[in-house]
Amino acid sequence: MSYDTVVVGAGLAGLTAALRLTERGQRVMIVARGVGATHLAPATIDVLGYLGDTRVGAPAGSLAALIAASPDHPYAHITADQLATAVTWFGAHAAALGYSGSVGENMLLPTALGVPKPSALAPRSMAGGDLRGGGRFLFVGFKGFKDFHPALIADNLVRAPLPLPITARALELEPPSSRLGDLSGRVIAGRFDADNLTDWLVGELENRVEPDERIGVPAVLGLRSGDQTWQELEKRLGCTVFEVSTLPPSVPGIRLFNALTAALRARGARLVLGVRAVGAHANNGHIDTIDVANATGTVSHAVGSVLLATGGFPSGGLELDSFGATRETVFDLPLIGVPETDRVRFAPNYFDPQPLASAGVPTDDLLRPVDANGHPVYTNLHAAGAILGGAIPWKEKSGTGISVASGYAAAEAILAPAAQSVSEAVR
Amino acid sequence: MNDFIRDSLDHCVKCTICETYCPVSQVTPMFPGPKYAGPQAERYRGAGKSVDSSVDYCSGCGICTQVCPQDVKIAEINSRARAKLWEQRGVPLRNQMIARPTVIGRLGTPVAPLANWALHNRAVRGIVQSIVGIHRDAPMPSFAGKTFQKRSRNHRGPSDAPAVVYFHGCGTNYYEPLVGEMVVAVLEHNGFRVIVPEQDCCGLPLQSNGNFPAARTYVRRLVDRLVPHARAGLPIVSNSTSCGLMLKREAHEILGIEDEDLKIVSESMYDLCEFLLRLHERGQLRTDFGSLPLTVPYHAPCQQRGHGIGKPALDLLALVPDLHMIELDVDCCGIAGTYGLKKEKYEISMAVGKRLFSDIAATGSELAACDSETCRWQIAHGAGVTAVHPIELLYRAYGLDRQGQRDLVTTGTQPARVSG
Amino acid sequence: MQNTSMSSLEADVLVIGGGSTGAGVARDAALRGFSTILVERRDLADGTTGRFHGLLHSGGRYAVKDPSAARECIAENRILRVTAADCIEDTGGMFVSTPWDDPEYGDQFLEGCRATGVPAEEIPVAEALRREPRVNPGIRRAFLVPDASLDPWKLVWGCARSAEEHGARILPYHRVLDLEVDGERVVGAHIRNQRSGEEFRIHATVVINAAGAWAGQIAELAHCRVNVRAGMGLMIAMNHRLVQMCVNRCKRPADGDILLPLRTACVIGTTDVFVPDPDETEIRQADIDLLLDEGEKLVPGFRQARALHAWAGVRPLFEDTAAVAETRDVTRSHALLDHSSREGVAGFLTITGGKTTTFRLMAEAAVDAACQQLGGLRPCTTAEVALAGSESHVPYRIGNRLAAREPLPQAEEIICECELITRSMLEETIRERDTTSLDDIRRVLRLAMGPCQGGFCIYRATGILHQGGKVDQADANRGLLDFLEERWKGIHPILHGDQLRQARLDDWIFQGILDVEHLPA
Repeated sequence: MSYDTVVVGAGLAGLTAALRLTERGQRVMIVARGVGATHLAPATIDVLGYLGDTRVGAPAGSLAALIAASPDHPYAHITADQLATAVTWFGAHAAALGYSGSVGENMLLPTALGVPKPSALAPRSMAGGDLRGGGRFLFVGFKGFKDFHPALIADNLVRAPLPLPITARALELEPPSSRLGDLSGRVIAGRFDADNLTDWLVGELENRVEPDERIGVPAVLGLRSGDQTWQELEKRLGCTVFEVSTLPPSVPGIRLFNALTAALRARGARLVLGVRAVGAHANNGHIDTIDVANATGTVSHAVGSVLLATGGFPSGGLELDSFGATRETVFDLPLIGVPETDRVRFAPNYFDPQPLASAGVPTDDLLRPVDANGHPVYTNLHAAGAILGGAIPWKEKSGTGISVASGYAAAEAILAPAAQSVSEAVR
Repeated sequence: MNDFIRDSLDHCVKCTICETYCPVSQVTPMFPGPKYAGPQAERYRGAGKSVDSSVDYCSGCGICTQVCPQDVKIAEINSRARAKLWEQRGVPLRNQMIARPTVIGRLGTPVAPLANWALHNRAVRGIVQSIVGIHRDAPMPSFAGKTFQKRSRNHRGPSDAPAVVYFHGCGTNYYEPLVGEMVVAVLEHNGFRVIVPEQDCCGLPLQSNGNFPAARTYVRRLVDRLVPHARAGLPIVSNSTSCGLMLKREAHEILGIEDEDLKIVSESMYDLCEFLLRLHERGQLRTDFGSLPLTVPYHAPCQQRGHGIGKPALDLLALVPDLHMIELDVDCCGIAGTYGLKKEKYEISMAVGKRLFSDIAATGSELAACDSETCRWQIAHGAGVTAVHPIELLYRAYGLDRQGQRDLVTTGTQPARVSG
Repeated sequence: MQNTSMSSLEADVLVIGGGSTGAGVARDAALRGFSTILVERRDLADGTTGRFHGLLHSGGRYAVKDPSAARECIAENRILRVTAADCIEDTGGMFVSTPWDDPEYGDQFLEGCRATGVPAEEIPVAEALRREPRVNPGIRRAFLVPDASLDPWKLVWGCARSAEEHGARILPYHRVLDLEVDGERVVGAHIRNQRSGEEFRIHATVVINAAGAWAGQIAELAHCRVNVRAGMGLMIAMNHRLVQMCVNRCKRPADGDILLPLRTACVIGTTDVFVPDPDETEIRQADIDLLLDEGEKLVPGFRQARALHAWAGVRPLFEDTAAVAETRDVTRSHALLDHSSREGVAGFLTITGGKTTTFRLMAEAAVDAACQQLGGLRPCTTAEVALAGSESHVPYRIGNRLAAREPLPQAEEIICECELITRSMLEETIRERDTTSLDDIRRVLRLAMGPCQGGFCIYRATGILHQGGKVDQADANRGLLDFLEERWKGIHPILHGDQLRQARLDDWIFQGILDVEHLPA
């Protein structure tokens, strides 16, 4: 089968790019070994939360400083305007989650340990947890749900550095007729979808919540019905309610995946999971076909462009073998941020700078992977998301921001071959 | 020995993505979930007896393996653990019976009217449930009376066209021979000579019921019958997605068969829609489709997705004028081959299918399309619609039902009619 | 200067050291009716015992080189299978001649086993490969011996609880600051509770120094000399059982020649490097590579398998003569030193050297000697009486925890999913052990010792500790951060392949999602 673009990887970067490409009429196939990191990360769009040890208030305004400190950073290949456009576009297209916020300033949302974490955009079911305005908070956990500890959140949060003082307290509720003792977030979300736990929750909280308190609950308010449940809770309790993300699997992340893939299905994009892109056939630096291994063998698909969005080490986009060699797993692309084989890759103290942390693919300004001389490896291969080198997203709190911005920017580069030839002429 | 199924547990990072997709563990606490039963429990297995009967509640749908981003062969690990469990405890009679469709088929076919009456008689089914353990409400197809094999013997197709081999499977043979005739008609319409070799069960039901030795015997016998054609370079097509997948991958990966003949057959296997779409990509598929003004929800069954070929049925049906296919976004209908027939699993199977049934109902269509036979029977039973193989829509769009082939009405599985 | 206001405890026997030897001595003394106190500067089994490979020797390994050690091993092996059944999994052992080993050594091996009473049987190579399908198909000979897998933490805690049942006091996190010497006699010790900071004295008729590789440091406090060398051995735990039996190379003992199943993991060991300070055990990349390469010889594909964790333990190697360069040639048999005959210091014994398999025998010897200073010999019963937890004599099986979760695995919250640790197991351990240290809990329950190395369970366990009111938020945070640092020591040296994927996901969890780096103090 032939496609305008084959996207390799079904994480946030791949899905964002595919959505933009199909919006502009492209025929797209997404191939992935499985479901991507959407299911692991909170659905917030974190553009930039920390510059070194300094918490960032205005992410867009801090990009220049970031790029000055990390010249290979993926944001160095994306203009500030592009970033703002991408994030705004994304918020509007993942409408089911009702994103609020902007790249102009970060909100501060509590983590499941009670640490204020900077995020540019958040689904509206989470945005009510913004700590910047101070106030009174009540954190509510569910007995039997091991992934949320409200007392620890409250105790840490009141000691956190915040612009205005807050108070916080905790409460643990026992869900009715618990199916069993071991409740995963996915199972509780299913119960919100099916059994209407909302009535129970309202009943438990309406006499306990104090005036002006905001209520933080684990992000498990339903998969299909999450947004409606949240709205209903706010309406019936008459106060702000917000979800707090916790350990994987991320229920808001699954909602985001479902919203994006539903939009892609509606536009005729094909999502094929459980397969692996294994290579490509190229002529004169141009990929003609991409090889995809399925149940029995390898199928070649003719492509106009390929987007590599396979993620970093945790998703298998990069691999380090026992002899110390690091490689990109689909195209064996050149990498940056990789110490020589005989050099130290891991510092002995966990929080020290880790030499291999920013490993990934270097690109040009069209997000095409480049070789050591800065030339694109293939003229029609682009990369987006965590496969890009130069960032330490879990420290910078920039992971989803990079995925959305680079996914969108790569799609734009694919859609604008004219711009491509112009930029090549300029070089 | 390279045990790559067990070794794949090393890739598990405990991310729990598989458990968020497992249709079974979401509706019953009896199954602890694919991560638990798979890569996690596997670390406790290997020495001594099986201790975790809960793995038997895995339906074997295979979704966990498809969604796992780390290449853990979760469903395959579970399948092997289940087989080891039953190897030690002895496979129950019920599972031995329902795992042998050819035996049931041969018994039921000559006495089809009587057998069909019994299959759909509430009193008989009640007795069967209590003695055998097949749930009284579980969807059962009707014996066609005359097998596809028998019907096709008198069929005269073109003699000098390029050949394709048709592996029709047991469902087509005993219950849905008309689907088989449509497959042949569509292939012949596209200029092929269709070879229907003598064939038997692929062993998949035995495999999923934990009887690996018998499953190996069946699949080897089937391979023996198909391999001369495969060696001659002929493609083999199947309209049964699960049996096709058995030959493509599972006989090797789950049953552990390392065999050159199997390998050649695997590489020659095509899902029917996959094969037709490939023809289309080469410009060799006839596109003289007539208008088919229908809106039809389409469910890609779990085993179809396991092929990793996308959804070729949708790509093909998009060529038919005025036909509007709705791509459903539900992972599993619940039946999982013979899983939903069992009395202790029927309720689970129906709970799994609930979302699919309601999504189909929401489309307002009285017709649904699905590639797998057992899933069609479940959809007809649970959603109360007629469920057809996509080939029937193509067949009708080609106008083959009006071209003197045969005067066919809808052949799809009707909603179950259980008589008083 | 003595602080007269300092409180003190009295005992017949004070045992210094909470490894297998110390715990064994405490149990033996308590069983013989002596009032006994054991002090350990850290947690029990946090030294050499908790860092060994976990092999209950049949004696096969020593059959050629050290026949007396082999005889001791097989005798103790038989005793422990009965008395410490819950600590032992009867995996069996197999010695194999790989293509790198001289097959003729097998004849010496068999002869050595015959001479020392170690049951050994040669089996056909095909049979060996049927039993252990991953073992190098190029092996030329194979022999079965009664090796087994031994859980060191269970063993030490089983001894400690037995001792407590017989009136002993077990004091982990109590450091000996000084020994109290009255004239020519050790009469007690000056102790600090490492957690509370409280200092006190323990007066005892006999002080038994069972500090293993640290025995020299303890002896010095009484101006005695114990020459113990520390032989560092490196081990790597692999994610799952690549073998189900203890597989040894059939050759003279060397580096990286044992691969054995230990609970859910399997362990390859070991190396042997002299280190001047037993507390300084830096893991070198060259040693990691050596073990991976040796593993590859035993089990082809070993380098692609997932390595979870690496650690180093120090063997106490006693030598009475001049130092030798190669520590493996120093005797593995134990040494019992009566300092009254050596240095004229009474009331003070040192028991060191040896190996975990023979810990009971060492304890028996030490307490026999102590009896002479305690008014006469009382009979030892440790060869007959079962350890706490092993009273039913039912051997441990790998599937135990899995079986315990049936038929409804989700009936209770599973906090550590890899090692199947439920909330009640965790809470009971916190209560029983009276600890809030995640690392202590780890050793008792194997918390965070599976593939994710705490990626998921550490947040949960921290929340439960805090919720139970055991620790405030500051201690909870500190405990979590300490644990992350501690586990990283064992992870980073072997980080590649699948474990790097895991480590990066864990980075995302701790730093990206929870943001532990910005926890308030």
